[in-house]
Amino acid sequence: MKIQGAKKVHYDSGPNMTPLVDVVMVILIFLMLAGSFVSAEHFLVSNLPVVQSGAGGEQLPPGFIPDEPIDIRVDNNPTTGVMVATTGKIQTSDPAALTQQLRAMRVKLNATGKSDDKLQVKIGPAKNVKYKDLVAVYEAALNAGYKKVAFATSH
Amino acid sequence: MRRHRMPDVKEGNVNVTPLIDIVMCLIIFFMLVAKIGIDTGADQAIVIPTSFQGLAIQDMGNTLTLNVRAVAGSDQPMVSALVGGVVEELKLVDPVTGHKPLLATLKNFRLGKDLKQGGANENADNPEFKVIIRGDESMGYQFLEPVLITCAEARVKNVNFNTKRATQ
Repeated sequence: MKIQGAKKVHYDSGPNMTPLVDVVMVILIFLMLAGSFVSAEHFLVSNLPVVQSGAGGEQLPPGFIPDEPIDIRVDNNPTTGVMVATTGKIQTSDPAALTQQLRAMRVKLNATGKSDDKLQVKIGPAKNVKYKDLVAVYEAALNAGYKKVAFATSH
Repeated sequence: MRRHRMPDVKEGNVNVTPLIDIVMCLIIFFMLVAKIGIDTGADQAIVIPTSFQGLAIQDMGNTLTLNVRAVAGSDQPMVSALVGGVVEELKLVDPVTGHKPLLATLKNFRLGKDLKQGGANENADNPEFKVIIRGDESMGYQFLEPVLITCAEARVKNVNFNTKRATQ
């Protein structure tokens, strides 16, 4: 007795690709789900100041000309609790206004021959100032075009 | 006796070759681009501040991420980091022994095993060593300051503050 169906099998149809496609699709989906591509986080880079009183705390080499310091004092308003940054002659809670003031100071210092590489912003916060407010002040200094920004410490 | 007839094998008409080509290209792309299984020890539970400015650090191999949190009722922060494959708490000063685990760890990374400047091989200095501070946005500066001072004592010059990208 003949089995009729066996005659109709086609052997020229090539290898069965279905398992390969299945496996490849699983790998693809895994990589798409597990991979982290563009991170939502980044970093504010600080090269700590080369001053004995600052967080860098290094001994100054002989003949070293220290950078021109631009101090920003950051406090909390005792009544409202809002951050207040003081630099030069202004006192503000608005990072945009602080940026403007710092930019004006930078332009003035550039005009006296101090290049941006020789300017150093030192942020001196009070103990209870929140970290997020410090980051806002830090960012204001970066927006004003300063290359060296760091936190001062009391030691 | 009546036999069941075997079903006919139908030849597939869909050409899957272009599909496989594209999928293979995608897999190679994802394998090259994706960062899978890289653990920096960053504590994702910490709410970090947002900023518009910021840079990406391409090489995380020569960095140490310090998770810094405020501790209620204390003026000392809780600092943790991935050391030796395990996230462990690094106290500024151990109240029992008086040791400074955070300083010792930072010095180990920055100055080598001898914890002193100079030396070769395992005692060699690592001036490019970077510290990433992942601090809670609501903590006060009194918790951040001792960490910065410790970094300074360990002669770590490059300190980076981890922030979230702010959206408009």
